[in-house]
Amino acid sequence: MTGHSLLGAALPMVAAINWHSLFFLLFASLACGFALAVVFTTNVVRMALHLVLSLAATAGLFFLANAEFIGAMQLMIYVGGTLVLLVFGVMLTAQQPFVSIRTSARDQVLAGVAGAATLAVLLVAVLSVGRWGLPASGEVDAPTATPLGMALLGVRVDAAGGGHSGFLLPFEIVSVHLLVVLVGAAYLARAKRRRTPRPVDVLASADPPLAPRPAVAVPGGVTRGASRSALVGSGDAAGGGA
Amino acid sequence: MNLGSLLTSSLSDTLQVSLPLFRPELCLAATVVLLLVCRMLPVVRWLDSAWIALGGAVFAAAYAWADLRGLPGSPWLPAATALNRHELFTGLLVFDPFTAYIRLLLAGFLLLYIPFTKISGIPGREEETDFHVLLLGAVLGMCLMASANHMLTVFMAVEMASVPSYALAGFLKGRKASSEAALKYAVYGAGAAGIMLYGISLLVGVLGSFHLPTMAARLSTVLAAGSTGGVTTALVLGGLMLAVGLAFKLSAVPFHFWCPDVFEGAAAEVGAFLSVASKAAAVALAVRLGCTLTAPPLADPAQLAGLADARFYGAHLVGLLAALSCTLGNLAAYGQTNIKRMLAYSTIAHAGYLMMGVAAAIALGGTDRAASRDAVAAVAFYLGAYLFMNLAAFAIVALLRNTLRSEEIAAYGGLIQSSPGVVVAMGLVLVSLIGLPPLAGFTAKFLVFASVAQAIALGVEKPLMIVLLAVGGLNTVFSLVYYLRVLGVMIFNPPPADRVNEPLPLVSLPGAFVTGLVAPVVVLGVFFAGLYACAQFAGGFAS
Repeated sequence: MTGHSLLGAALPMVAAINWHSLFFLLFASLACGFALAVVFTTNVVRMALHLVLSLAATAGLFFLANAEFIGAMQLMIYVGGTLVLLVFGVMLTAQQPFVSIRTSARDQVLAGVAGAATLAVLLVAVLSVGRWGLPASGEVDAPTATPLGMALLGVRVDAAGGGHSGFLLPFEIVSVHLLVVLVGAAYLARAKRRRTPRPVDVLASADPPLAPRPAVAVPGGVTRGASRSALVGSGDAAGGGA
Repeated sequence: MNLGSLLTSSLSDTLQVSLPLFRPELCLAATVVLLLVCRMLPVVRWLDSAWIALGGAVFAAAYAWADLRGLPGSPWLPAATALNRHELFTGLLVFDPFTAYIRLLLAGFLLLYIPFTKISGIPGREEETDFHVLLLGAVLGMCLMASANHMLTVFMAVEMASVPSYALAGFLKGRKASSEAALKYAVYGAGAAGIMLYGISLLVGVLGSFHLPTMAARLSTVLAAGSTGGVTTALVLGGLMLAVGLAFKLSAVPFHFWCPDVFEGAAAEVGAFLSVASKAAAVALAVRLGCTLTAPPLADPAQLAGLADARFYGAHLVGLLAALSCTLGNLAAYGQTNIKRMLAYSTIAHAGYLMMGVAAAIALGGTDRAASRDAVAAVAFYLGAYLFMNLAAFAIVALLRNTLRSEEIAAYGGLIQSSPGVVVAMGLVLVSLIGLPPLAGFTAKFLVFASVAQAIALGVEKPLMIVLLAVGGLNTVFSLVYYLRVLGVMIFNPPPADRVNEPLPLVSLPGAFVTGLVAPVVVLGVFFAGLYACAQFAGGFAS
């Protein structure tokens, strides 16, 4: 009897909840909260984990906006691919000085001021726009996977009237770009000893010898640091190369 | 319209319109693949990858040349009856005389640059495939920057040009300075790209389109309707953030911090690439965005009038960056002891001069289309002359490094005794960089200043243009000192004790190459009509 009346009272309340807004608030606060956690954590591995969670919450926002395709891509590429690689890279290469990153107080204040100022300006600008521009045909249904796939092949089935661009060129040319970038990353990460000296190797004004590091070149072989850094990619490897 | 007819029209548009006008880029992309395939096949592995890259560049240049020549209205064909403007790939790219000119310039740069790196020997035998893949990949992105007609292409092209450049900056593996330069460049570039992307999203969000001419049309109606809410704030902010991304690519002050460090840390060869090709593409993109968004081709008078505020904003923004870059670049160049660092600041200053032309072109777009076209032509000519001067300067620095083992200005002491030829060549290049007659640099600078003066004469944005002209003139005088100081060291200082006999004899392959690069600097100063006709044709894209 009491349970029945409770349910009766609860049902209209449940129906009155705007689930869309609720989930939006949930995902948005998760995304922002974990983003802040990335900034304020000092441990690199934790940072990477928080980044995963923040990006996953962003994928939730995409799903709420009816953009299932982008949401799925966000999950697959960022959460599934890039970040797993990042976490592995961090865990495999993190050495003592890089495990916990501490920012000096001066930098924190500077970054805080710059970030807060940018955020304030952007918020004022974005919130003051009364009406964002929409495609001319008015309310457009968010395209699902099929029209998106067609658009990537250059055919816009969702806007057959013309005036909308297909995305054949970016889709194809990005593959060339990725190939080039992969070659660059492989070059920087490769730890091969040179057989012939370069013209600059004998530069009189060349760098002073690097500070002694624990990972010094093993004669005829590969430096320890370099082989490890091959996993992380360009930035670190460039410093650790032979 | 059913799916079949959609597919057919898309296919015919791609195969018959877009791809034939996209041949230079296709050549570059094919060469990238060919370079990698040749490394895998044992039969052709012995083949020097420089020759493969050079072959690809020859094809790209030949197609780019044919495209430029084949356009109606070019210096070789009768005037056009219709507008020379083809949108490729459903509006993502635009092919017009300006695209054709810049593409030819970039392909021509490759034709000079690949032999230069071969002679100076920086990508050694073991790493040259990687070097050429990165080089061609970056130039592919630069070609897209010159022909972008869609915000998606703008961003993608900037990234395609930037990311291989980061790797090139760190090409000297194992040198701390080089790795530091690459990291600094990459981090700075990532930040600038993020800001630019945010700016693009603001602009696109307010205007509701990615397509540049459509954006301009919407911008006109939005501005004509008067300030509604914060739309203007968002537009101003979006434009500013877009300009940040461009200014980074242009190494314009105050986004220039990466430039001297990267140039000093990276090899002189990479510096030549960044300061010539990268700059040309960035200037082309600035011209493209500035002119298309504020005075689109085929705009009717009402639309042009609606864009007056956009032109005012664009001209002042670019003009401010130009004045700052010019002044700071020249003043900071004084104290430099490293020649590459000095040339980096000189590059920043030249970006300033180029942007003065862009500012004039934007400002003139509404009142006098012909004068605006002349301003774009001046910028295009400047890029052509700059290609030879700066490439020659970096070539001399790189070739001298190979024998002198130093890139300090002080090491050049007394070069006049041991190799007078190279001092004459360097002298011509430096005097051309100052902009003194009768060299190519003078003609280029004169044309840019003339278009600024033209804006003053027509009363367009008069205060700004007067300031720009004054700043430009003063800076030319400033720059005299530090360019001539290098020449002074070469002539008057005693040679260091450990000087080799003749660092760079003119009668040798490197010497002949330097002569070949310096000759156009002299020739273009006197016989500039041919290049200027091409540049003027390129400038005609605006209407």
